[in-house]
Amino acid sequence: MADTGTRPHKWPMRLAYVALCFLFLALALLPFQTVPRGWAGPDWIIVLTLAWAARRPDYVPAHLVAFVVLFADFLLMRPPGLVAALAVIARQILRRRAISLRDAPFPQEWLTVATLLVAMTLAERLAYAVFLIDQPPLGLVVMRLFAGIAAYPVVVVASQLLLGLRKPQPGDDDTVARVA
Amino acid sequence: MARDRTQGDDYTAPLKRLLLGVLIFLLLAVFLLWRIDSPRVERFRAQVVDNVMPSFDWAMTPVTATVALFRDFQSYQRLAEQNRELRRELQQMKAWKEAALQLEQENARLLDLNNVRLDPRLTYITGVVLADSGSPFRQSVLLNIGSRDGLVDGWAAMDGIGLVGRVSGTGANTSRVILLTDSSSRIPVIVQPSGQRGLVIGDNSPAPHIDFLENPEQVRPGDRVISSGDGGVFPPGLLVGQVASDPGGRLRVRLAADYERLEYLRVLRHHGREGIKTPGTIIAPPTAPQTSDTDANGGPSDG
Repeated sequence: MADTGTRPHKWPMRLAYVALCFLFLALALLPFQTVPRGWAGPDWIIVLTLAWAARRPDYVPAHLVAFVVLFADFLLMRPPGLVAALAVIARQILRRRAISLRDAPFPQEWLTVATLLVAMTLAERLAYAVFLIDQPPLGLVVMRLFAGIAAYPVVVVASQLLLGLRKPQPGDDDTVARVA
Repeated sequence: MARDRTQGDDYTAPLKRLLLGVLIFLLLAVFLLWRIDSPRVERFRAQVVDNVMPSFDWAMTPVTATVALFRDFQSYQRLAEQNRELRRELQQMKAWKEAALQLEQENARLLDLNNVRLDPRLTYITGVVLADSGSPFRQSVLLNIGSRDGLVDGWAAMDGIGLVGRVSGTGANTSRVILLTDSSSRIPVIVQPSGQRGLVIGDNSPAPHIDFLENPEQVRPGDRVISSGDGGVFPPGLLVGQVASDPGGRLRVRLAADYERLEYLRVLRHHGREGIKTPGTIIAPPTAPQTSDTDANGGPSDG
């Protein structure tokens, strides 16, 4: 089979995705600081998911995203399921645009992801309002949003350098059909 | 080859789309279920945490220890300055110690006069902080003791000095303590010496504000805030902190517990207070001997 040559990359990368997400979770949960802090860093798991979904959607299948983010929802005391559903939807939107994104320059990809992040934040706040859940402080949410947008290139570069994650090249036989 | 697979995709595409729809639906269903039947889902969450966190622990302990070590080094750099501060504080403390000793003697005398017995059932279990909430939006810590150790939701957690929070969510081996600084924390308190009752309301800031006072004019910065035990959930008399007023003029509580380093927390066993449920009945002399057949078993034990 021709695809046995390219396939073996897929499962290690999926494993790497899960491992990275667990690492981010563990780092977030470490009891470094128990005083309320006035700042919020990016949601690394979401940024990582979007970055990989924009570049290689086959490494982050929808069910894996759902599992990982739902797990994070449970551990981080968020309303379970909401962010997970939004992440799956965002991943799907990116996957659908995979072909146009593949030829697009980086700023356009960044803009797309930033728009998605804004939309996810708005949708989350809307859901909180509709279901009468206490809204998290707006300042922190906005800070998290901008931190996420700023962190996107970092995640992209890091995963390109450390894990060799790159956009599908014209020569890759396997990806032609997979992305389509 | 490639065309082959595209055709395959064409066949499976509707199926995939359906599965995806089901997946998103399931996730939203979990969210809805949480909104409708929160306690059940929160119990499930506690179980998940209970199964996951202890296995994270082996990885977390070395990292936490390393960071703590690093911070200790940072504080060594300020050693001379700290030493000077400590000397000055020591001077003040000596004065305080003298006052405290006198008060202690006086207190012992008064207790002796009153024949007071402090509540013997107020004992505690000590737990180690495993993890924090992991997000800037929630303020809670996870302890390594749970329902196996007899913990019950609602018990108070303290560090050595002051109140830290309350237990909310217990698994078999872990339990979550919602800190006083969390935006969902509400604790009934009493402000001494004026005796005003109020609520300490967390708002995600280091100093929660104090509200619903009957008469805020009588409360001054520096007053002591202790838990009042109203509502019967908390034991009364636990030190919360001191009143301070922020630039906006709102009253806040400077917490007595050291939130910078929460490592070991005491969870106070609390079995609720005995309430007075019936109106007082008439105290009658012991029943007459002629009815002793009917209540013979009740009579002697009364006397």
